[in-house]
Amino acid sequence: MAAASPTALERFLNGIIPENPVYRQLLGMCPVLAVTGAMKPALTMAAATAFVLICANLLISLIRGLLKPHLRILVFTMTIATFVTIADRFLAAYLYDMSKELGPYVPLIIANCLIISRCEICSSKQSVGVAFADGVGMSLGFALALASIATVREILGSGTWFGLTVLPSFWPTWGIMVLPPGAFLVLGLLLGLVEWIGHRRATST
Amino acid sequence: MSVGTSTLPSNAPDSVEHSPTVASLQIAPSPHLSDRSLSTQRMMIEVIIALLPVMAVAVYVFQWYAVTSIGLCILVCLGAEAGLNRLAGKSQTVGDWSAVLTGLILGLSLPWNAPWYVAVVGSLAAIGLGKAVFGGLGCNIFNPAMVGRAFVMLSFARELGAAAYVVVESQLTVVTEATPLSLAKQFAADLAAGRVTAGDARLQIESAERFWALLVGQVNGSLGETSAIAILLGGIYLLARRVISWEIPLGVVLVSLVCVELSHLTGQTLLSPMNHLISGSLLFGAVFIATDPVTSPVTRWGRFVYGLGIGFFVVVIRVFSSYPEGLMFAVLLMNATVPLLNRWTIPNPLGGPVPKKG
Amino acid sequence: MMDPETQKNRNYLQQAWLVLLLGFLYGGALAGVHTSLAPRIAENRLQETLNVIPDLVPGAVIQQTEMLSIAGPGGQMERIYRTADAAGQHNGWVLVAAGQGFADRIEILVGLDPQFTTITGVYVLDQKETPGLGDDIRDAEFLDQFRGKSADIPLSVVKMSPSLPGEVQALTGATVSTWAVCDIVNQAIDQWRDPILDQQVSSASGTSSADEIP
Repeated sequence: MAAASPTALERFLNGIIPENPVYRQLLGMCPVLAVTGAMKPALTMAAATAFVLICANLLISLIRGLLKPHLRILVFTMTIATFVTIADRFLAAYLYDMSKELGPYVPLIIANCLIISRCEICSSKQSVGVAFADGVGMSLGFALALASIATVREILGSGTWFGLTVLPSFWPTWGIMVLPPGAFLVLGLLLGLVEWIGHRRATST
Repeated sequence: MSVGTSTLPSNAPDSVEHSPTVASLQIAPSPHLSDRSLSTQRMMIEVIIALLPVMAVAVYVFQWYAVTSIGLCILVCLGAEAGLNRLAGKSQTVGDWSAVLTGLILGLSLPWNAPWYVAVVGSLAAIGLGKAVFGGLGCNIFNPAMVGRAFVMLSFARELGAAAYVVVESQLTVVTEATPLSLAKQFAADLAAGRVTAGDARLQIESAERFWALLVGQVNGSLGETSAIAILLGGIYLLARRVISWEIPLGVVLVSLVCVELSHLTGQTLLSPMNHLISGSLLFGAVFIATDPVTSPVTRWGRFVYGLGIGFFVVVIRVFSSYPEGLMFAVLLMNATVPLLNRWTIPNPLGGPVPKKG
Repeated sequence: MMDPETQKNRNYLQQAWLVLLLGFLYGGALAGVHTSLAPRIAENRLQETLNVIPDLVPGAVIQQTEMLSIAGPGGQMERIYRTADAAGQHNGWVLVAAGQGFADRIEILVGLDPQFTTITGVYVLDQKETPGLGDDIRDAEFLDQFRGKSADIPLSVVKMSPSLPGEVQALTGATVSTWAVCDIVNQAIDQWRDPILDQQVSSASGTSSADEIP
């Protein structure tokens, strides 16, 4: 390969802002739209995704020398599906209300392209340490994105943050923010904002 | 020639020199004839003139509520337009009157007693989400006023729902009763539950006095939709001045009459087709909202089909959904089909059709 | 020399051993997770309903409540709760009922007295009504209206100040959701009154007749 593979630190930092899964790579849009109505479900989803991503990254990195090129996607999918099922069962057992609220979106982490893309790009090629750093960085980036959208939606839509009232009672809450259209609007506007900031930084330096 | 004017914002850096009143780009099927009098500004002002009877009825029926609500919408729309243009570094387009018209139509489509923040949030959403994010007037896919109304409708469902129109103790007599379409829904529910007989229900909502009240606007409802006569006056003016084309209103009216007749015959709706037509915002929408040149098709057949679609969805929503009125959603739905309609209905160029290859 | 068939099989194994091995490992891990967590998950589900039973039937005690399975017109009903007070005295019924709301299915619990004459409480288990409007059906203020209503008169919705028995005041801007809850309650009572009361009678007479048979 011509370019050297990124180091663990680079992988970690890249995941948070420069290659943010949501704002830069536009991956994992399903949970981004579906569970960001409030902070609690958004962060639970981010934690479940982080668990699956980090575990899958570690395991794939450990067995990367044994992978056959034409069977690798099969191995990735099996690994991810296993960890997703474990996460789903743990939520149902210990956070029953949250698991009911998240509904099908926890099992749907299997279909989150973010995880399989990290398996393909990083952990099937690099050492366990780098894969771990990559998983943590990407998870933080994903959590940051979910939290930013959920913050806007919960404060404007319900007047609360983490369930605590933050807006005065006379403030009329915007029901649309809690409804699906609000997810699309906030995601679009925040994407535009991130793009705009990036553009300004690029032109000013 | 058919009219299809829209102004694309200029990205010229020296915005001071740029005159916003001259249409910089016109979109219409051939033949292309240049007419400088068809500027954005002139069209907007014509529509505002046509809205004068409607505004007069609104002020007469709802008094100060109409003045404050519409005024607030226009002011916030103008402010949002100016502010967002500045933020985006675009040439100022406040002078083309389009923001005034958006505010006016939004204000007229809101309930008479909508709280002030509904007007403010709706206007910001109309200009910001309906127009500015797409790149300004001429680039927007959806009718800005309807985007704003949908935003507040979904946000403040309690303040804008059918029940919010009714205020029992008020000096305005019309607002002590439900809006005509809610009333029809209520009677339909009562009829289904066996609380009234079909004859009684019909008598209540189809009487001659009610018909007259609907014509002159002595009924409860959104500010601009109450009087059929005022809307028709505006419509005739716009048609005579060739600001709007007749295909869209005709499509809306025709298909809604047919659809209502069908559902009336099968007992799905109590109201007769004529009553459906003059109740609610169907007529107002057909004349003033669906005909927005930016968000409607540019070809003649495209416009007609667009009108048919709106009329059809209005009736479907009115008859089968729990919403009493469906014009807003119908217009937004059909807005999304406009690019397709334009593509499917490209007319033959002057001088005959293009011979097929091969 | 190896025959081609064995060669082919060996080739397959060479390619796929990792997938097979992982399959076994993952399967084992999932089985382990399932066996250790399944009872807890089932308990969570049950607890959700049981926790509100004392609210729905005054005086009911969870430990004395039993879950019955009764055949009715709509098929077998698995979750009918026969509640009892601390002394073990039968004091009411809790039915799980569901129906179409404004947005999606609404699932509710209906509490009734032993003779099906009075509604003692209603609780919303699951709903996806419009936030800020229809989802107010979960509010105690709304649900308290049902407490003490007669089970003989079908519930109906009025917009303002209910005066007649059986009338429920609609939530502002959410008449459809209100009707949905009332319809579900009406239907549940209608559907299960006879099967449940009949079963009680037959089981009561059943035990006595069993005693008489020598």
